Amino acid sequence: MRPLATKILQQKLEEFSQKHPGWKFAQLFYEPETARTNYIISAMGGSGPALFWGASDNIGPLVELKVIKPLEQYLDAAFLDSFITEPIAANTWFQGHLYQIADQVGNHLCLVYNKKLVPDPPKTMAELRKLGKELTKDLNGDGKPDRYALAWNYTEPFFAVPFIYGYGGRILDENNQPTLNTKATIQAAQLIYDLANKDRIIPLECDYEVSNALFLDGYAAMIINGPWSWGTYIENGIDIGITRIPQIDETGLWPSPMVSPLGYSVNINLEGEKLMVALELLKFLTSAEVELQFTRALGTIPSRKQAFFDPSVMQNDLIRSSIYQLEVGTLMPGVTELRWIWDAMRPSYQSIFTGQIKPDQAALAMQQLAERLITENRE
Amino acid sequence: MAIGVGTIKNNRLAYVYTMPALIVMAAVVVYPFLYNIVLSFSNMNLSHFYNWRIIGLGNYLNVLKESTFWYFLWKTILWTVINVFFHVTIGVFLALILNKDIKGKSYFRTLLILPWAVPQYITALTWRGMFNSEYGAISLMIDRLFGIQIPWLTTEWGAFAACVITNVWLGFPFMMIVALGGLQSIPDELYEAADIDGASWWHKLRNITIPLIKPVMIPAITLGIIWTFNNFNIVWLVSNGGEPADTTHILVSWIYKSGFRYFRMGYAAAFSMIIFLILLIFSFNFIKKTKAAEAVY
Repeated sequence: MRPLATKILQQKLEEFSQKHPGWKFAQLFYEPETARTNYIISAMGGSGPALFWGASDNIGPLVELKVIKPLEQYLDAAFLDSFITEPIAANTWFQGHLYQIADQVGNHLCLVYNKKLVPDPPKTMAELRKLGKELTKDLNGDGKPDRYALAWNYTEPFFAVPFIYGYGGRILDENNQPTLNTKATIQAAQLIYDLANKDRIIPLECDYEVSNALFLDGYAAMIINGPWSWGTYIENGIDIGITRIPQIDETGLWPSPMVSPLGYSVNINLEGEKLMVALELLKFLTSAEVELQFTRALGTIPSRKQAFFDPSVMQNDLIRSSIYQLEVGTLMPGVTELRWIWDAMRPSYQSIFTGQIKPDQAALAMQQLAERLITENRE
Repeated sequence: MAIGVGTIKNNRLAYVYTMPALIVMAAVVVYPFLYNIVLSFSNMNLSHFYNWRIIGLGNYLNVLKESTFWYFLWKTILWTVINVFFHVTIGVFLALILNKDIKGKSYFRTLLILPWAVPQYITALTWRGMFNSEYGAISLMIDRLFGIQIPWLTTEWGAFAACVITNVWLGFPFMMIVALGGLQSIPDELYEAADIDGASWWHKLRNITIPLIKPVMIPAITLGIIWTFNNFNIVWLVSNGGEPADTTHILVSWIYKSGFRYFRMGYAAAFSMIIFLILLIFSFNFIKKTKAAEAVY
């Protein structure tokens, strides 16, 4: 959750607390990785927040570590039926139990563009390269680009995976085994490397904060980012458009970002009245009214049928564009193996951009590390 | 020295007074430490978090035979030596200046303590932003002055240097304050006597100042070494968790990653026990050799 989202959530918590005098409701915000680690540590110690909010790929590790509660016995069928199942199932079942109730679906990367700079967004990588050369500009005449065509957190594997799928690859198979040492991984890594080093249309050094700041300040015409960021762009007065990440020319495939529901899980340590209040809060935060407030402010895709099919959602250009990208997304599995695959990808993938290794060596190294991490943790 | 029943009886009140502290110490230091020892011999990981078992010395052997350990050990030693050297050199140098009767002394003293007063988290993230090779303040300044772009955060040694610079900036105020305290406790008569004998500035520094601030500096340096050796925050935050490619780690940041990102708890526990032994042996020998525990006067 980002600043605007935390602000709305705070208002909702205050609203809920009025109906529950004697109870206090507070939120803690951390980046996804830190949030997961902190939650696990606190819940294993017998405390921690009542509700944990995040993407559904957390569910595997959280279940294995026994820090979240199965919810099917507390929620009736009518409530569960009120959530969407298409384009992706909103609620997350794992090993036969319900562990997460979503307040939004998607969490997927899209191409976000500043309409003032890019009236007509590129549809293919060739178009992106061509447009990129026009948009990347040396504004102060020092011989170095000040404005880039595109910026995104490309050294983070999650932000590179759409391109692997765009080249026809994938990162894990049906048996949850890594499939990283493939031609698709090599081609995807090479493409991103070339955009930075050959075409020079993306910055050479770009993490999440830098890319976001560049886009916000008009120094990047486009950014690849997810629904959590759109509210901030709108709030800052940027006229944004959203579309699919440009098609890969060689394969004719669209890059496929990971998609997942985002929602609430319940702390394993909750019992009695506290559990009942937490469940009420969960129902309140996933109600159609609350979801619509988030949607209107942030452009998120609601998970409740009533909110999803609301005319204000269906006719919203940003959300329709977001769903357009979602349609070519890949459902992120909730299995624990995915955690190790992300961790295995990061070092070798980043080494490509430091010039230490070539994409083919990186693909082999990440495959080997993923296999090792899975074996070590499963043995 | 053996503690007899008589001694305990005679000092009963003293033991009662210290008991709360002992109980808290046992709960927050002794118990976790012993638990960590047990875990270091276990196979605890994400798949065996509740059904873990003792597997003997396997984790220790894994740690010692991996090149990662030796590489990060070497890097940690380098990190510690460079940092402590600059902390002490800059700290003592500034303390010597502040010990003189200079104008605006209290203003400068406050200003120089500021890096220490700012939360490490904020300092680290601010410096990280300043090291961005295209947009960071440091990079822009170097570019304007020398016309070169340094890829601080995307190369192994660039990121290491960025962490060192940040930590030097954060660490020298502590040494400065300690050295200043030591300098102020040196009687002026010693310098006056040296002046009468015609001693130069260098002779006074070598024969009076350094020996007399040694008793306060040695424990501070020992602490500095241990803190720097274990300084997780700066390395983790400036390098964004070991980037690029998990090369910017010191031993403790690697343990954190193994334990709390990869959930290899047994392995991480063994790793931490090895670090504990390294620091224990070092501190013991360092204090013994430098006679830091002995009285000076």
